This record gives sequence, structure tokens and C-alpha cells, in this order.
Amino acid sequence: MIRLNNIERSYKTGAGQTWVLRRVNLEIQQGEFITAMGPSGAGKSSLLNVLALLDDQWQGEYWFREQAAHSMKRKERAELAKKNIGMVFQSYHLLDDLTVLENIDLPLSYKDIPRQQRQSLVADVLDRFQIVAKKDLYPSQLSGGQQQLVGIARAVIHKPSLLLADEPTGNLHSSQAQEIMELFRGLNQQGTTIVQVTHSETNAAYGTRTIQLRDGWLVGDTANPNLQATIEPSGAAMKR
Amino acid sequence: MSGLLQDLQYAARQLRKSPGFATVAIVTLALGIGANTAIFSLLDQALLRSLPVKDVDRLVILKYSGSNIPGLLRCRTDGKFYFSYPMYRDLRDRNSVFSGLIATDWTQVGVQWHNQPDLVAAELVSGNYFDVLSLQPALGRLFAASDDLKADASPVVVLSFSYWQRRFGTDPGILNQSILVNGHPFTVVGVAPPGFHSVVLGDTPDVFVPMMMQAEVMPGSKDLDSHQSSWLNIVGKLKPGISREQAEAGVAPLWYALRSDELKSINTTGESEGFRDRFLTKSHLLVLDGARGFSPLRSDVQMPLLIVMGMVALVALMACANVGSLLLVRASGRIREMSVRYALGAKRRRVVQQLLVEGMLLGSAGGLLGMLLAPQVSSLLISMLWSGGTGDLPFSARPDLRIMLFNCSLALFASLLFSLAPAAQFWRPDLAPALKQQGTTARSGSLRFRRVSVAMQIGLSLTLLVGAGLFVRTLHNLRSLNAGFTTDHLVTFGIDPRMAGYEPVRTFALYRSVFETLSGLPGVRSVAATNDPELANDNESGNIAIAGYAEKSHEDMNVEQPNVSADYFATLQVPLLAGRAFTLQDSAESQKVAVVNESFARHFFGDPQQALGHLIGYGGATPKTDTAIVGVVKDSKHASLREPVTPTLFRPYVQLSQAQAMTFYVRTWQQPESAEGTIRRAMQTLDPNVVLDTFRTMNEQVDNNLIAERVIALLASGFGVLAALMAAVGLYGVLAYSTMQRTSEIGIRMALGATRASVVRMVLLEVLWLAGISIAVALPVSLLLMYAVRSQLYGISGSDPLTLCGMTVLVTLVALASAMLPARRAARVEPMAALRHE
Amino acid sequence: MIEAGQPLIQIQDLTKVFYTDEIETHALSGIHLSVNRGEYVAMSGPSGCGKSTLLSIIGLLDTPTAGRYSLNGKTVENLDFAERSRIRNQEIGFIFQSFNLIGDLTVYENVELPLTYRQRMPAADRKSRVMEALERVGMAHRIRHYPSQLSGGQQQRVAVARALGGKPSILLADEPTGNLDSRNGEAVMELLQNLHREGATICMVTHDPRFAKHAQREVHLFDGKVVAEEELRKLLQETSA
Repeated sequence: MIRLNNIERSYKTGAGQTWVLRRVNLEIQQGEFITAMGPSGAGKSSLLNVLALLDDQWQGEYWFREQAAHSMKRKERAELAKKNIGMVFQSYHLLDDLTVLENIDLPLSYKDIPRQQRQSLVADVLDRFQIVAKKDLYPSQLSGGQQQLVGIARAVIHKPSLLLADEPTGNLHSSQAQEIMELFRGLNQQGTTIVQVTHSETNAAYGTRTIQLRDGWLVGDTANPNLQATIEPSGAAMKR
Repeated sequence: MSGLLQDLQYAARQLRKSPGFATVAIVTLALGIGANTAIFSLLDQALLRSLPVKDVDRLVILKYSGSNIPGLLRCRTDGKFYFSYPMYRDLRDRNSVFSGLIATDWTQVGVQWHNQPDLVAAELVSGNYFDVLSLQPALGRLFAASDDLKADASPVVVLSFSYWQRRFGTDPGILNQSILVNGHPFTVVGVAPPGFHSVVLGDTPDVFVPMMMQAEVMPGSKDLDSHQSSWLNIVGKLKPGISREQAEAGVAPLWYALRSDELKSINTTGESEGFRDRFLTKSHLLVLDGARGFSPLRSDVQMPLLIVMGMVALVALMACANVGSLLLVRASGRIREMSVRYALGAKRRRVVQQLLVEGMLLGSAGGLLGMLLAPQVSSLLISMLWSGGTGDLPFSARPDLRIMLFNCSLALFASLLFSLAPAAQFWRPDLAPALKQQGTTARSGSLRFRRVSVAMQIGLSLTLLVGAGLFVRTLHNLRSLNAGFTTDHLVTFGIDPRMAGYEPVRTFALYRSVFETLSGLPGVRSVAATNDPELANDNESGNIAIAGYAEKSHEDMNVEQPNVSADYFATLQVPLLAGRAFTLQDSAESQKVAVVNESFARHFFGDPQQALGHLIGYGGATPKTDTAIVGVVKDSKHASLREPVTPTLFRPYVQLSQAQAMTFYVRTWQQPESAEGTIRRAMQTLDPNVVLDTFRTMNEQVDNNLIAERVIALLASGFGVLAALMAAVGLYGVLAYSTMQRTSEIGIRMALGATRASVVRMVLLEVLWLAGISIAVALPVSLLLMYAVRSQLYGISGSDPLTLCGMTVLVTLVALASAMLPARRAARVEPMAALRHE
Repeated sequence: MIEAGQPLIQIQDLTKVFYTDEIETHALSGIHLSVNRGEYVAMSGPSGCGKSTLLSIIGLLDTPTAGRYSLNGKTVENLDFAERSRIRNQEIGFIFQSFNLIGDLTVYENVELPLTYRQRMPAADRKSRVMEALERVGMAHRIRHYPSQLSGGQQQRVAVARALGGKPSILLADEPTGNLDSRNGEAVMELLQNLHREGATICMVTHDPRFAKHAQREVHLFDGKVVAEEELRKLLQETSA
């Protein structure tokens, strides 16, 4: 489904250039549930942003279903992402001034979908996530778990084939986290490809494959046990 | 106050690091504070300041209620402030509540020294003038009661300090020298102290002359013995320990006695019981606070100055709101800084102190710059308001301690006001999350405050712009008003030969030769003259009687009475409606004739044709009616463009026994400005000692007549534009900040598929909402304010829909324009960078 | 110097509830904890377990909803804002994940800042304290620099110096290596360890087990409660099952 070849990403900082992704090669198959792990600053979130096509400052190749995203124009990329990708964030990123219903409706409002159809899509998702009763509440009136539920509902409203989640349970209690992970498992079983970033081994256990990052390098992949041998020795300085 | 120096250093460094912000804030404050200081310094001098004399709180002004004596009344303001000389003398000598009463009147005189003629302002004063005011001479002596005992017996003069400087170079040798005043030799006995102008606010006499010399100083006037002629202002000093109320009660019996005598002295036959009641029983002498001096000017400038002061106050308020919201924008970026300071153990007082120090630094920089700016603004205003007057300007642009104090307290108050907003924001910090986060999050409270502040600015600028629009259109209306005569190609100047020592007979001869000489000049079409100049806020009115006319009870028989030359109507191009105009055949010896205006004819006779042939008499209760109405002319504006036309009766000046000062009108073929040199040279050859006064074109005269309107319109537009600019800057600042704060929100929206255009639309829509709400609030407020100042508007309603709509559209456009940049910046947000902000 | 081994921090039955419009979130429920002088305690647990909230309360940045907290023998859970400011200033040194240096102040001024909030401290004393602290972290050569001119590792060392300058009874570190790469992270951890050896009391929040091992004692939090290590492992297994 997705093939990344030699993805590199760096930031200019006051002190020089900081590398957050280094020659990352990754293939993602349809229906996988991948967990990206590694210490803070290892490049997990950066990888997720590249996958989400939110970032365009990287070098390398990105193939999405045989479409070359790396040679697309900004607008085309945005179109591709809008159609195929949903995102879930650690801090939910719900808009405080919109109700649950409006938050979920937001991605649809940016597409040319008739009002009738939008309403039925939203109603459907509210049903599926069992948050119909909360539809007129504002995010601040919800618990963290409920907010994340809304966040996920918003991410899947347009039926994306790829769901990206950045520490989706990072701000949640364990019982709420468990609920969210169960939800992901269900979505995955219904065919959605998922990539999540997490610190939690517990969460990783829900996935079908785990990759490890350290200082921008991909250093481990349960689907490719030989990976370790192919990379340069670790400990390369991140700052120059 | 620990660490004050440190805070100051830090504040200075912060300002240095953001010069853009510092410049905008300081300039905004300087404009707001400077404009206020400038206007206040005028307001203070015109309306608030006390005279620079001792025991100023014991000074009072006398005024009376009840009817006037029907008779001569020369006044610059409400007639009830004017008294006859005998009345003054009796009040002064027979009261028991005042330690002194002084009488004063203003006039112009010709002064000649070393053969140099000079037209100067003079104050005719009672002998005790300087004593009562407790003034000490700068040189020589001031007047004593002995200078004021016998008519024409004291040819002495006291110079004002500034005239002594200006004309005599501060030469003490001038003492006891003789100068010619209106051709009469007067001895200079002293110089008044510096800083003192006159007991009449706004007057700046160059010379003081004893009251007894009235006949010399005001040629043709002999009012010292007349009960009929009310021409003096009376200023008094209360005896110590006597209040104004006690004085009023104490002087009441005297006033009643004096008024009874007066009533007897005027011919009361035919006067009704009602008149007696109004003249005597209902008449009281009022003792008013006089600490600020008597001021005919005050009532003229009060409304315009208050309007302008109101406008600058709004501007200052805007400046505060503007800087406050700019500071809040910065403050929101400093939540983490302040949280760190709290975490490290700063107490609240210390944090607030730091913010206040920062605010004060801005405020004092703005105040200082404003203080430098203020004298420029006020001197500009003063020169606009008093163009072409004689003598010193009554107002000074130089700031004194009082003005600096005002400036400082305004700066201080403003600093407090705009420092409060950020201080409030850091009052209840939410420390744990603020320290945890990488970026900062908007506190909805502060964003709300900024929105309110911007809405307020939009509203205030709308109010100011509506005011500007209405005042500009008022000016336009007045300017394009038909004066009733042609103002183009018309030059005007005044002369008073009596000030060059002319006797009545010679004066008439001089006037005749002026007509002859000027008419003969190349490029001159015709020449005319009047004693009552047009559009100069001048009135020469008197009571008349009409033979065979049945007066209604209490009918006002007071009409305007200009004395004019033969070609007057032809030269001014005032159309004749009936009968004939004056001709050279109308002379001192021939039948006395008059021409009336249309209003006069319609008021008394219903129709211009009906007026012809009626006989008129002047003054008194039963005057001789010996003047025949021979013609009726169309109405024209007289005192000012604003005032409605009053019934007017023109007479040939040659049929009067007294020669008067005359204002000449010269109708030219070419541009009137080009005629000045020729006319001046011609007059010079006639008599170099006759000084030409206020030489200008009629259009200049019209502009001069509209000075208050022009100043208000100019300032209102200036402040309106300034306000709109400030609102634009404020709006820009708030939007730039709020979009920055919303970076993450916008990032989310874009991550979810929002296009750039829809982000721009979202920001602009927010602005439209804000503008809409503030306009909805500001419009009714503007309507109310405009209603309050409606007396200053002309030919336009305070709720003029065109102005209101136009300014609303303008303000909306300004708002949208200033929103464009932040909106486009918002659309450039990188969604990923935005999301990293968490 | 007070003798080591006495309890510096004593927390009993501490609860913290966050209220939003309708929801009560129990961030901490019934925490018991004591930290002795000279101890080096790491607090760990999964995200959302309440460890940062606990550290904020220990640091008097936040107040508990219920429970008792005494610091240095003084009950502090009910103090007013000014009093808490004073204690923060004198007893506590903070080290944050994102350094939290003030951008408009130089390195020297940043370290001096908490001392300027103290009543009547002679300038000479302040100066010697600041320089001592900066030398301790090896940043004395950069006193005129602004934070933006330093690398992340250097900034964090300045932040440690700022925490040390006030000679606090306890250092509180919240994910001090969170924004650093592994090399700089190690350096900061080493610095903390040296400080501990010299007698400093340290409380550190981290979710990196490698760094938690640096500490003498590890406190595990889970869903707002202190749990034993074995129990935590069990709980984590249960939830993943």
C-alpha cells in the first residue's frame, strides 16, 4: 500500500541542522496495524507526519498505491491525504468552540458532499461510536477518553484506508486507553490500515507489527528481523 | 519596591528588542497624549485658568437680570454684562460689600511715536483697575484713582509689558515721554507687569488708558454721563470674608434704588406696567465668580473647544485601548515567561510591578514625545483661530507647569490603564500546564478582552469619522452658502481717520477723496463703504420707530442699522427689489432717506412695495420720524454666514452727524489679490498716517468668518483619520495574534482538508462579525453625540444617512483591509508545524 | 546542613481531581509518599498515570484537592499564593522538559532570576552564587549568551544551574531529557547523578526506564496510584490481555 524509500527529514535550528529521520525505508501492507516505538526525539512523530502527507519538507520517495506522492504538487498531495488518510492525535485536537457533532462533521465540510449525505454519515458514526447522547456537548464537557473517541470518529468519518495515530492514549487512564485500543483493533479488523506511535508496550501488543526508531534511524522491525545489520552503527550525533 | 532598576532595565531591553512594537506604541501614545495636551492647554487658558492676580478667588463679575434700558448698547456678548458709567460710579461708591469695583472696555487706537503710526488694542479702565487687581508696575507707576477724576483731564497711558518689549525694545527711557494716541499727546507713566494681559480673558491690550479719556480714545463717543449707554464691564473684588451670596444680598437694595432712579430718568410715558415690573422688580444684580476673568470669548469658544476636547479624549482612549491590546498580544506570548517567574518564586506584586514598569516606560516615552508635539499643535491652532487680530495672541502655546502636570498625569493614567490588561492576565496563572507545554495556548479571557478592545476602537473611529463627515459637510454647506452678495473680486479694508487725529469734517472729506482716488485706479470697477462690515461678526443695531405703525406689545423694534456709501448695493451686487438705491444726491442737506432689506419690509409691511414711503425715527420712546424709506434690497447675510438674516435698515453715511470708522469694499476686474499694492500705494499718497486695517479679499473674510467651523472640521477629519489608522493597527495586531494563537486550530482544519481560501474566508468573516457588532453599538452612540453638538452643524442633520452609511462602509473597508494580511498569513500555516505546537 | 535520612517530603492520602464542566478526572487518588533528605527518587509510569501532576503538587505549582503534604516539616497544602511563591523560591529547584529559560535574559540573568526574587540578598552574594552554580554545570564561560544561542543540552545545563543557585532543599525534574537527544540526555542524567552524590535530594519524572534506573528508588504510578513494580507489570499485562 505504501512504500517509503530513503526518507530524510531535518530541521534548521539555531545551532545548526537537526536530523529527525535518516534514510528510512518502510513498506506498509494493506490491513496492517503497525506500532512505531522509540524514545522521545527518535523521529516517530516525524515519520507519522510524513506518512500523513502533512509535511512536505522531506527528501526521498513516497509511493502511495503506486502513486508517486514525492513528485506531486502540494495541492494534489493534500487531495490524496484528504481522501485516504485519517489522523488521531495525543491531545485529540478537537476544536473547543465546536460541538461534538460539528467536530465530527468538520472534515466533511471541506469536501463537496451534499448536506443530506453529510448528516447521515455523521449520524452513522455517532451511532457506531455510541456518542449520540453527547453530540451537542463541547469537548471541554467530555472526559479524555470520550474526547479521543470523538477524535477517532472524526478521523474515520470519511472512511479513510489509512488511519494514523500519534500517542492516541498518551493522555488517558489505562481503562480508557484499553477501550480506545479495542476500537482500533475493531477498525483494523474491518480493513483499515493503522499506524500508531506509542511508548506503551501494552498498546503495541494490539498491533500486528512493531518498528523501532532511534535518533532518526529505523533500528528494528518485527517484520524484518535482519534490519539491525543493515544500518550504520548507532550513536551518530544528532547535532552537528 | 525591590528590583525596580532591574525591571526597568529588562523593560528597556524588551522594547529595544522589538523596535516595531515600541515605535507603534510610543507614537500612538504620543499622538493621543500630545493632542490632548495641546487642546487642553487651549481649553485651560480659555475656560479654566484663573487670572494671574492676587486674591483671585475674591474676584467677581457683575451681571444683572431684568430689562435693558432701551438705548445704545455696544456689546460683544450677552447685554446683561454691560453697565452705564453713572451706574458703575454709583455702584462703586455706594456699596458696602466690595473692596473695589473696576470698569473696563476694549477699543482700538492709533498710536504714533517717532512719526510711526501703529494700530493697537487698548483697554479703557477705571483708575482703580490696577489697585483692585493688586498689580505692581514693571516700570514707572500704574494708574491711581487720581487719574480718573475729571473727563479729558488725564492724558496718561500705561503700556502692556509685551507692547513695551515689541514696540519700544524694553527701553526704560520711554517713561514720561509723550506718544500720540488718536492724535492726542499722552504721557507714558508706566509698564504693566509681565504675564498680565487684561481682566478680560482673550483680550491683549497694548495700552491702558484711563476711563476719563474716553472722548479721545473713542472719537465721537461721550458716554461718561449717559445713563442710556451701557458699555462697561464691571469686575469687582469682594471684601475679605464676604461670600458671593452675601454680596448679592448686600448690594440688592442699592441696585433697586439705582434702577428706580434710572426708570425715572428715562421717559416712561407710554411704558407699560409690565416694563416697570421687568425693569425694576424682576431685576437683580448678580455677583458671579470672576476668578477666570470676564470673557466674551469664553462663550464663543466653549462649544468648539469642548467638542474638540471630546474628540481628542476619544482619540486618547483609543490610543490606550490600542496599546493595551498590543501589550496583551505580547503578554500572551509571555505566559510561559511569567509562569517561570512564578515557579521560581516571584510574588504577584513583583510580577505586576514588572508589568507596570514596562507600561510606565512606554507611557512616559509617549508622554514625553507628546509634550514635544503639543506646542506645535497648539500654536498651529492658535494661529488658525486668531489670524489677523491686532496685538498679542491671547493664548500662548508655550507649555507651563500646569500643562506639563496635565501631560504627566495623562501619561501616567494611560500607562496604568493599558498596563492593567496584561497584569490581569497574569493574576491567576495556571502554572503546571503553562510550564509543561512547548508553545502557549490562548487564554480565551484575554482574547475576549482584545476583541472587545478592537471592537471599541472600531466603534470609536466610526464615531469620530461620522463627526468628521458631518463637520466637513457643515463647513462645505456654509462655504457654498449664498451670502446674498458676490464675494469674488472684492477687496476689503478698514480705516479710522479719527485715530490719525481727523475731525469729523475732515473725515468726511477724506472719505470723499478715497472714493475718488480708488475709483480712478486701473482695474477697479467700483468702490463702496460701510461702518458695519459684512461677515465680520459685527453688529450696529438700534431701536426704531415707524410712523403710523402699530407696535405689537413687546415687539422687538431693534434692527440692524449700517451706514453705507452711495454705490454700496451696486458694488456688493445686492439686487434692488423696489424703489431706488442711494445716490450722490442723498446728502447731509437733503431729505433723510433709508433703504431696507426684504426681511425688514416683510416683517413690518408684508411686501417690499408696501415699505416705500414710510417714515422712520431712531431711539428713545417717541422719536422724530424724519427718514423716508426709498428702496428695498434683497436679503444678504450680515454678521456671519450661519446667522439668519435680520431686518436691516441702511442709511447714507453722509446723512449722519458723526463721522465713523469705515470699511471699504473695492470691486476689481482682475484677481483681487493683485489690487492690494495699487490700493495701498494710493491710500499712502492720500495720508500716510491713516493705517489700513485688516486688508483682505472678501473670500478670505468668508474663510475667516468660518474659522471655528474650519478648525473643527479640520481637527475632526484629522482625528477621524488618526482613529481609523489606530483601529486598523489595533485590528491588525489582534488578528495577527489571534491567528497565531489559532495556528494549531487552523493546522487541524487544514489537516482535515480545509483549503487556503476557506481559511482566509474564516478570518475575514470573524472581522466582519466584530466590525458589525461594534458598528451596531457605535451608530446610536454617534447619533446621540451628534445630537448633543447639533448647534454646531449647519444644513445637515446629525443623523444624515449619507454620512452615516458612507462612514460605516469606510470603517468596514478599513477593517477588512487590515484583516487581509493576517488572513493570508493564516492561510500559509503549515499544518504539521501547527500540530507540533502541542 | 541538616542531617540526611530525615523525611523531607511527607505526603498522605493525596488526591487531585480536575473538574471540567461535567467531568471529574481523578488524576491522583490516595497517594502516600515520603522522600528522605539526600534521596534520589524517580517517578515513572505510563502517560496519564499522574506522575507530572504529582510533581507539580510537590513543587507547589499546583494544589491538591485533598490530602496532606508537608515539606521540610511544614504543612504546605493550604498556603496562599504568596506563601507558596516564597517556598518555591527558597526550597525548590525546578528542571523542566522544555528548559523554560527566559529568552530575553542572558544565561547569567536567568540563573540570577530566582535570587532577585529574594528579599535583601546582597549583590555580591548573588554573583558568587550564580557563578558557583554555572561552574558546577560547566556553563560559566557562556554567561553573556542568550538561550537561543545555546544547544538544547547547554540550555538544560543552564536550567540546572538556575535550580541549584537558590540552594534548594530539593530538585524537581520533569522529564529533563525529554527534549534532548540520547547523548545530551545522558550528560544531563550524569550531572544529576553527580549532584545526588554530593548530597542533593532529587525527584525526577521520566518514562524512560533506562534513566529511571539512575535513581536510588523508583516510584511507580498507575492511574493515579502508587503501585509496586511487580504490581505494575501485572497491571500492564492485564490491560494488554
